[in-house]
Amino acid sequence: MSVFSILFGAPALLFGLIALPIIWWLLRLTPPRPKSEIFPPLRILARVLKKQETPSKSPWWLTALRLLIAALIVIALAQPVLNPRSTQANAAGPLVLVMDNGWSTAEDWQKRVTVANGLIDDAEAENIPVSIIFTAENAHNATPDTPGKARDRLQAAAPRPLKGTPKKALASIRTALAGQKVGTLAILSSGLAESDSDADWQGLVAINPADIYLFENTATNTIALNAAENEANGFAIRATRLHDRGNETRTIAANDSQGRPIAEGELIFETGSLSGKALLTAPFELRNDFASITVDGLANAGTRYLLDESSRRRRVGLLSAEPLDLSQPLLSPLYYLTRALEPFANLIVPQSENLADSIRELMEQRPSVLVMADIGTVPEEVSDELLEWINRGGLLLRFSGPRLAGGSRDDPFIPVELRRGERSLGGALSWSEPQPLAAFSEDGAFAGMKRPDDVTVNRQVLAEPSPDLASRTWASLADGTPLVTSRAFGEGRIILFHVTAEATWSDLPISGQFVEMLRRAVLLSRTSGGQQATGEETILPPYRLLAANGAITLPAGAAQPLKIQASTVPQASFDNPPGLYGTESGFLALNLMAANDTLSAFELPAYEGPIYRSDYAGDNSLDLAPYLLAAALALLILDTLIVLFMAGAFSLPGRKRHGLAAGAAVLLLCLAVSLQTFQPALASDAKPGDADILAALDRTHLAYVLTGDERVDRTSSLGMSGLTRFLTYRTSLEPGDPIAVNLESDNLSLYSMLYWPISADADAPSTEAIARVDTFMKNGGTVLFDTRDTLAGLNANGAVSPETARLRAILAELDIPALEPVPSDHVLTKAFYILSNFPGRYNGSPLWVEAAAETDNPDNRPARAGDGVSSIIITGNDLAGAWAIDEDNIPVFPTVPPDPVQREHAFRAGVNIMMYMLTGNYKADQVHIPALLERLGQ
Amino acid sequence: MAALGQATEAVATGSALARGRQRAAYIPDILVEAQRVANTVIAGWHGRRKRGIGENFWQFRPYVEGESLSAIDWRRSARDDATYVRDREWEAAHTIWLWADSSPSMLFQSHLAPVSKQSRAMVILLALAEILSRSGERIASPGVMDPVAARNASQRLATAIDLQKGEMTFPDVSLIGRHSDLVLISDFLDPAEEVIAKLAPIAKRGIRGHVLEICDPIEEVFPYRGRTQFIDPENGNTLIAGRAQSIHEDYRRAYLARREGIAQSLRHLGWNFITHHTDQPASTALVALHTHLSGVPNDGFRTGTGATSP
Repeated sequence: MSVFSILFGAPALLFGLIALPIIWWLLRLTPPRPKSEIFPPLRILARVLKKQETPSKSPWWLTALRLLIAALIVIALAQPVLNPRSTQANAAGPLVLVMDNGWSTAEDWQKRVTVANGLIDDAEAENIPVSIIFTAENAHNATPDTPGKARDRLQAAAPRPLKGTPKKALASIRTALAGQKVGTLAILSSGLAESDSDADWQGLVAINPADIYLFENTATNTIALNAAENEANGFAIRATRLHDRGNETRTIAANDSQGRPIAEGELIFETGSLSGKALLTAPFELRNDFASITVDGLANAGTRYLLDESSRRRRVGLLSAEPLDLSQPLLSPLYYLTRALEPFANLIVPQSENLADSIRELMEQRPSVLVMADIGTVPEEVSDELLEWINRGGLLLRFSGPRLAGGSRDDPFIPVELRRGERSLGGALSWSEPQPLAAFSEDGAFAGMKRPDDVTVNRQVLAEPSPDLASRTWASLADGTPLVTSRAFGEGRIILFHVTAEATWSDLPISGQFVEMLRRAVLLSRTSGGQQATGEETILPPYRLLAANGAITLPAGAAQPLKIQASTVPQASFDNPPGLYGTESGFLALNLMAANDTLSAFELPAYEGPIYRSDYAGDNSLDLAPYLLAAALALLILDTLIVLFMAGAFSLPGRKRHGLAAGAAVLLLCLAVSLQTFQPALASDAKPGDADILAALDRTHLAYVLTGDERVDRTSSLGMSGLTRFLTYRTSLEPGDPIAVNLESDNLSLYSMLYWPISADADAPSTEAIARVDTFMKNGGTVLFDTRDTLAGLNANGAVSPETARLRAILAELDIPALEPVPSDHVLTKAFYILSNFPGRYNGSPLWVEAAAETDNPDNRPARAGDGVSSIIITGNDLAGAWAIDEDNIPVFPTVPPDPVQREHAFRAGVNIMMYMLTGNYKADQVHIPALLERLGQ
Repeated sequence: MAALGQATEAVATGSALARGRQRAAYIPDILVEAQRVANTVIAGWHGRRKRGIGENFWQFRPYVEGESLSAIDWRRSARDDATYVRDREWEAAHTIWLWADSSPSMLFQSHLAPVSKQSRAMVILLALAEILSRSGERIASPGVMDPVAARNASQRLATAIDLQKGEMTFPDVSLIGRHSDLVLISDFLDPAEEVIAKLAPIAKRGIRGHVLEICDPIEEVFPYRGRTQFIDPENGNTLIAGRAQSIHEDYRRAYLARREGIAQSLRHLGWNFITHHTDQPASTALVALHTHLSGVPNDGFRTGTGATSP
């Protein structure tokens, strides 16, 4: 091998150089084409031009330049290689090729194939058989065969995203070549040694081949990513390298599921250490999107670390004794929990009302964390199930409250023994003042967090003193009583906040630290808690597989489902190549490198015969084609410039420049116009019936339910008209015309109140209609039921009138709270007029409304707190009958007894009901105006 | 790189006529100063300053025996004993011959000019015809139209040119009588000697000539650069200049020398020579021609025969 030699990959193409003289002849013939100009004073010009010699041919140096370009292109196409490799197969016996095709060979696989091809070509020339094996394959066939067959196998082979398993491969060589003299043993090594194969290499060398070629890639350093963990302050990544080459810094990137890099960091190897570390600092939300970690500039299976849900958002199940009340969210514990957990957890809420069903329902969705806000006792039937879930790694996060404080003593789901009953400011275990928090415990999950100064606790549940109480306490109050306690249960954990999740007992839920505390608590949990740890075998199908070059591909070929037994994930193998196993909704990442894997360099055992060590062809050899083509391109550009110069293109007259400027301006203008003319086509979202909805919405309308009983409906219509007129005269509310509502078909959401006279003769409303009314009431609407049966229904013997029976049938299907007759301090009695009773045509039936919650001190409040308007009002006084007036303003029905004052009171009752409906607790709050003004200092 | 100049289609005489009339509207009526009035009998508007057939009073003279009695002006004769005859001034029309070159070289138009030379020449020709016919002169065009004195002479000339469309070389001028005016509009790109060789015999016949040279500005500026092939539109001859900018000065000198030579020779013949560039408005050429035809450049030095009293 000479010091400076050039080999041509396709020498036949050099015949193209013969064409150069033809090109030269052609170039001599065609001078650059002149501009053509019509010029009438040609005869004058002709006299002048006689003096000048016009060259009709290109100058010789231009021709030479063009010939050079042509020659360069021809030579480049012939694929010249500087310093090519030369190998020689020893004819003494078969050629044995041991090719590593593990993960680290992916990047220079083509070079390896070229080297192997060269050896096989040699063998073909010498006519000796070839045995070729690949170390990362599963089945090996080392029987020497013709070079052609070996070449076919070489072409079919590809690098695999696996560690090599040379043990089996080498064993197959020894059996196949038993007793045969080996001519050349060529080892195309990946440079990585597998721990269990030293003896096999010894055995291979022991067969005494005539020559040993050892090819090793010494130019690049092999790096593999070991582990990536989503820690509190970032993504911690560990990597290992093959050789210690001093300080080494690599850029690593985190990619999302689409493969886009979304965060970058630096992987740093210190001198003297084979392992490196990196910390990807990114916001928590962004870290959740990480799907894989890659090392920039390296593309193989070892430098792509796949992430699964274990580094993702946790699924959190929420349980509360009372369902989320939309009308009063600030009083619901779930509201605070939802707001605090949403940024970093997927929340699931049970559909079922029943607590046991809810727990079961949540368990089925395999949450990482289960949050129980003030649940006193876990039902017996799901207790075992819940306990097992915690033992398998679930995290139970509990908040106390009145129910927990009053729960049973032997509750297994509390971390510390609790004293029954809560302690509150001014309570039995008296506090002088609300307690602030003490600094967080140094061993708990909240270690290192700043103590919130602004949080005070008014009430808490107390723990019984016990020896291990301090070790289980993560946060405590200033007086030393625990605020957050925790205890490990099996693989899981139970955490108890000794205050409520809403802001009644303490300020904690409205402080910023609450979010951080919950975040840290949730981070403790395992994702899809207990999914793997079922004890029995779990089988996950391959979902995405890692290719040897680090690409994520769809599963194909020999990949088998991943069998997980007793929560131990097997190592990546031929049957289970690295990748994601599971389904799109949940998968497990199987990575090539385990957390404590290291890379060790391959060493050939001692051997007496000649060993030719070299690196792969192309490491030293230089492909000249790109340089030649680049030179040709540069010369071509030079030639173009020369031709343009000769044609006078660079002595631009002034007008030309203006032309360029004008052209640029026109281009900009076109661009601007094209940008301006983007008018998104908007689809019309008009629907039939929009006009009716708009008409119903532009004013408030009184609405009544069509019962189907013609007489009752007419009375309702007249009554609503009468009340409308009365409201218009007496109040600032000027309703539109009354609207008759068909429960089965009309949109109820447009009205705030429905007047529903119960008629025993009409058909009963369908179940769907009742469901619609139920939705209407739950969304803030009010239904005014009128049984019109005061005289018939309330007789002494307790007989039930048909209307009342019908009402009971309707109410049985509605989800309504407890009712009470309007108490004397209810807002209804003060909403507009001050009223003591609510008569209609009849006087005697009380007006029933939702029972208001008892307040602590009913004495010093002039009106009951009216948070929320009663969604149901029931009367039997036939209000519409009293309100009904005809077009001449004459009442249609007499009152019973016939008393004009009663009719006036009936109208006033209607006004109060409407005001109550429309203004809600505003009227109740108005009684506080004097106190508010006083507080404002006026 | 687009060519700087191009050959255009010959302009439609109809549109040229319309534009010519537009130009003519700006120019006042013209009275061709007849240096030597042609002795014609055709009535015109030119007072010839001698007695003859006409409408305006010229002089009273004593009656001579043999004259028609009807010629006696009895009112004047009644004043004294002599008998007088009333003479009228002889009023005659002048013939002006107009000719515009329409050879292929005239069809050239460069990017510096709004119109081709031929178009400009046609507009000036027809505008002149319009002005002159408005003034009652007789208009003619050699080889195209015989002299006519009519108000619509310009239209008739346009029609005649239209019909005559074909290769028009230098016209046959043998029909032009003495004492006529001849207006020649062309680019006169032939060498000066050839042009003068053509024009000198005409001038020798006593015809007063007005020569309007129309040139495209690019012929004078010569902005060509780089390797350029020049094509003669007349005969298709080509010339290639390796670096056109290098001959810029030489060419300009030759071009202007040709113009100066023609102008010099024509001045010796007593003819007028006007140069008009197509990037200037047509009116400038018209005004120049107008002043020359009216004889004003001679600054009152009228060489015509004055009125001679008998």
